[in-house]
Amino acid sequence: MTTVPKVFSVKTTPKEILEKWYRLMTLGRAIDEKAPNYLKQAIGWSYHAPYAGHDGIQLAIGQTFEKEIDHIFLYYRDMLTALSCGMTAEEIILNGISKATDPTSGGRHMSNHFAKPDWHIHNVSSLTGNHTLHAVGVARAIKYYDEKAVAFSVQGESSLSEGYVYEAINGASKEKLPVIFCIQDNGYGISVPKKDQTANRKVANNFTGFKNLKIIHCNGKDVFDSMNAMYEAKRHALETGMPVMVQANCIRIHSHSNSDRHELYRSEAERNYVLDYDPLFKYKRMLIRYERFTVEELEKIENETKIQLKEAHKLALKAPDPDPNTYLDFVLPEPYQPQKYIDGTHQETGEKKKLITGLNETLKAEFRNNPDTFMWGQDMANKDKGGIFNVSKGLQQEFGPQRVFNAPIAEDFIVGTANGMSRYDEKIRIVIEGAEFADYFWPAMEQYVDSSHDYWRSNGQFTPNVTIRLASGGYIGGGLYHSQNIEGSLASIPGVRIVYPSFADDAAGLLRTAIRSRGMTMFMEPKALYNDPKAATVIPDDFEVPFGKARIRREGEDLVMITYGNTTHMCLEAAERLSKEGASVEVIDLRSLIPLDKETILNSVKRIGKVMVVHEDKVHSGFGAEITSMIMEEAFEYLDGPVKRIGSTFTPVGFHRSFERMILPNTEKIYNAAKDVLAY
Amino acid sequence: MSKTGIFYSFNSTKTAKAAEKIKEAFGPDFNIVPVNAEELTEELFLSFTNLILGVPTWFDGELPNYWDEFVPALEGLNLNGKTIAIFGLGNQVEYPENFGDAVGIMAELVQEIGAKLVGYTSAEGYEYESSKALVDSKFVGLILDQETQPRQSKERIANWVNDLKSQFSW
Repeated sequence: MTTVPKVFSVKTTPKEILEKWYRLMTLGRAIDEKAPNYLKQAIGWSYHAPYAGHDGIQLAIGQTFEKEIDHIFLYYRDMLTALSCGMTAEEIILNGISKATDPTSGGRHMSNHFAKPDWHIHNVSSLTGNHTLHAVGVARAIKYYDEKAVAFSVQGESSLSEGYVYEAINGASKEKLPVIFCIQDNGYGISVPKKDQTANRKVANNFTGFKNLKIIHCNGKDVFDSMNAMYEAKRHALETGMPVMVQANCIRIHSHSNSDRHELYRSEAERNYVLDYDPLFKYKRMLIRYERFTVEELEKIENETKIQLKEAHKLALKAPDPDPNTYLDFVLPEPYQPQKYIDGTHQETGEKKKLITGLNETLKAEFRNNPDTFMWGQDMANKDKGGIFNVSKGLQQEFGPQRVFNAPIAEDFIVGTANGMSRYDEKIRIVIEGAEFADYFWPAMEQYVDSSHDYWRSNGQFTPNVTIRLASGGYIGGGLYHSQNIEGSLASIPGVRIVYPSFADDAAGLLRTAIRSRGMTMFMEPKALYNDPKAATVIPDDFEVPFGKARIRREGEDLVMITYGNTTHMCLEAAERLSKEGASVEVIDLRSLIPLDKETILNSVKRIGKVMVVHEDKVHSGFGAEITSMIMEEAFEYLDGPVKRIGSTFTPVGFHRSFERMILPNTEKIYNAAKDVLAY
Repeated sequence: MSKTGIFYSFNSTKTAKAAEKIKEAFGPDFNIVPVNAEELTEELFLSFTNLILGVPTWFDGELPNYWDEFVPALEGLNLNGKTIAIFGLGNQVEYPENFGDAVGIMAELVQEIGAKLVGYTSAEGYEYESSKALVDSKFVGLILDQETQPRQSKERIANWVNDLKSQFSW
């Protein structure tokens, strides 16, 4: 068991420090008790998770945090932690009542989520424990840049039931990162008691087998025990660079939140039992008992706090409400704008390169261009092996294992730590292989979706600068787990760009633009084309392709095929065959799905009148459904017939080649459908 | 004659009841003075030679707040010449990881400042996973489990009190 030195005690701690703590605790509790009134008066704060009973540890976490140096991720019960970190009562209320000047999000995020990104108090999700991976990611940057700082991940004990929290702790242990996991254990996850979460009441002890992880238990209700635990945790993390887990035993004096009624599942005896151990009253009793303060002195502080809160309340009420007309702001940041290849085309001649070569050389060029570029993923950086398809071959040798490295087989960890690391500095650019194949990306959806919110949710204060590469699609006989397309499922999530090149030059140019841009980009790689000569092109060394700019790969007058990825080549083949039969077919390679080049699509549709939308992903709810609907809505009167969609069937992709042929689109299917459309 | 006190929270229910049973077990020939642990002072504590401390385990292995708040005072005392026995209530089924921990925490505290600890008991007959009260295969006091073994408390108290009668100086 870890022994924690007694640095702080009621008898020896300087009086001014004891006073500061009492002021913070009294102020915090006053706001905690006042918060429900805002809802009753219909002013706001419709979500409030009271912290009463967590007072000791929340005070201690905040007192240990050094603003603008350390990084901290609070959870939705961390009101006193936020105050103890230095946030003001007014800032707390601004968040509570969702004002435009709320430092967390300008009213975009839920109440009771306290953040101040300028100070490294990060804006976090409501998803419990989601930020654990972000703390590990930012600690990776702290270590890489050799900063004397720590990352705090603050959360309730129930969050340890989440698999991604395990992934985070495993990562911090493996990489030896200065993260302090602060676990506030009040015995309940909403109404679910600890015994329904895990077999071990001391939940931190589930992690005793993790190497490099120091575990400290403390009484989160007691100021001095909590201060000593957090002081020791930070000392250890700073001196050794290793992770620490502090489990603080707390009590939840009230219900989980204002939408919960704990009297429905907690006995009166239990509710009284926790009241007996109110941490604030205990601290006050001790200050008096050990003659550090008189009753009168403490009452004076309490009265001053009441005035302080009243002033903060008045100021917050006067603050402006958010302007709802800004709702379209901060979905995605402005991307990098190509300087030389404005529309993403070129006339370069010379030797053709394969798509995989284009990706590999672009990655190397961008890593040379920006020393703050990093890449990790599964099975992608071990000696001569540079990924299962060799996209990353040679990168680790050239740029070293600190910048290019294998991640654990944990997709959510890969994405979540990318989000976290990019929080360290705006200049950082991260490329990840989200999974070995797109089919395996689903465990990362938790982080993908949450990262898609960051820019909007933080009111433009933070965006993860991350390019997610995924080897995608079929035609390799890979079956259900190596042949699927997932872009149709992802396209309904705002906040991430999705690109899907078909040719080597576009792959290189889009990758360069993605890496240089702020924000998240999902970069789909048609793996069947990596080494296919038909996707090989000449690639200018500095080629760039803007987002949202389609490329007309073949011009025509009788029919337009709108496509991307593998099926671009099939459409071109079908178009060539049809041309021999006298039909002139245009082929638009979208390259970007989000943002979508509506202008190029509509121009062709209006000029030609007959339209096919072709992709490899399922027709059912595939991205083609969006394109088709957009055409119906914006160019219906120009159509000479229904828009025909071609894609895969509403089934998984089978392993046997005969299943693939049946399920996936091919040149023949496109050709036959084109004949039908041309007949209108 | 030495002065013997039994210290426990007068606001408690089960601990207070156990304290009364312990006092009864000593019988009328022994003067055991009840002391409210919620109103402790250093002077009051030091005014006894033999001290029986009622220390139930709270939450996941903590001292009750009234004892915890007395710890800074306790740490400044010299208990040389004092003989201390500790009893406490725990629940070995619901809280097997910290069964009777508070008894162990208090035992360590008072020994560090010079007290002679008596009233060790056998750990047999209990089923739990871990306890700070277990030292060298024995409990450093009497642990009563009124939740899951209430019928054994009477005998455990009787045996413990008999031992204390011989360990305390009267």
